[in-house]
Amino acid sequence: MVVTARRFLVIKMRDFRKFAIISLIAGVVAGFLLSLGQHYLIQPLIFAAEQLEMPVHEHHHDWQPEDGFQRHSLTVIFNSLMGCGFALLLTAGLYLKNHQGYLRGLMWGFAGYAVFFIAPSLGLPPELPGTASAELLNRQTWWLFTAISTACGLSAVFFGKNRTFQIGGVMLLVLPHLIGAPQPDTFSSLASEELQQQFVIFSALNNGIFWLIIGAVSGGLLRKLSANNTGFSS
Amino acid sequence: MKTLTATAAPSTISSVKILPALSAITLGVAIILSLGFMQDSGNYLHNAAHDGRHSAAFPCH
Repeated sequence: MVVTARRFLVIKMRDFRKFAIISLIAGVVAGFLLSLGQHYLIQPLIFAAEQLEMPVHEHHHDWQPEDGFQRHSLTVIFNSLMGCGFALLLTAGLYLKNHQGYLRGLMWGFAGYAVFFIAPSLGLPPELPGTASAELLNRQTWWLFTAISTACGLSAVFFGKNRTFQIGGVMLLVLPHLIGAPQPDTFSSLASEELQQQFVIFSALNNGIFWLIIGAVSGGLLRKLSANNTGFSS
Repeated sequence: MKTLTATAAPSTISSVKILPALSAITLGVAIILSLGFMQDSGNYLHNAAHDGRHSAAFPCH
């Protein structure tokens, strides 16, 4: 049907435009709040660790943002854009499953937190600058593999049609941790253990709030926009 | 001329949903990968995104 093909594209563009708006709002709100938490809780720890790192690495000839306004605004921009990226994924998931509203959004937000923070952190905990770690590319690969495997695992557990899917889902959740994250040959850290611990706790807290906000705002806006007469195709 | 009503075949509708969702996922993944994982030769992106990557627990350095 010719008509369907045209309508197909119209709906596609219309819904996609809504996702973009929702994600932009959710990302900026969550990113801004994340930056506030980061400024007061996390940045002091990074600075402290960098003070320790300075004498060891005197090789910084590359451009770096100046401490102060430039560095802070880059962090706000980074967090907001990251929030938009995550919100796009979350909104797509909500939309595909016909879920909407703050409460559903919060649940999806928690799932996002599990996929993108908890699961990778189990193997590669948040690290302060100056901590010894394995080859970057190996860690990035393991991180991405863990996130994808956890996302597939969670959707199989929650949306799987039968027991087989759910058992497979649990296996996908466990698999990256059986393989194990790449570890450095020897552990060493410039920052004290106490500083590291604080950093892990604050990061976990901060990112949890970040994800819940992304979820709640995305879910809420999705409901609001689909309540309009130009609602989503269902 | 065929008129399209709201009662189009359900299978058409569900495939209609795939495309916008997939576009959103693609864009989202592109943003996350480029901000969180890309290592550029001059380290511009890395240094700009440095604090954010650390606090989001992305592998950095």
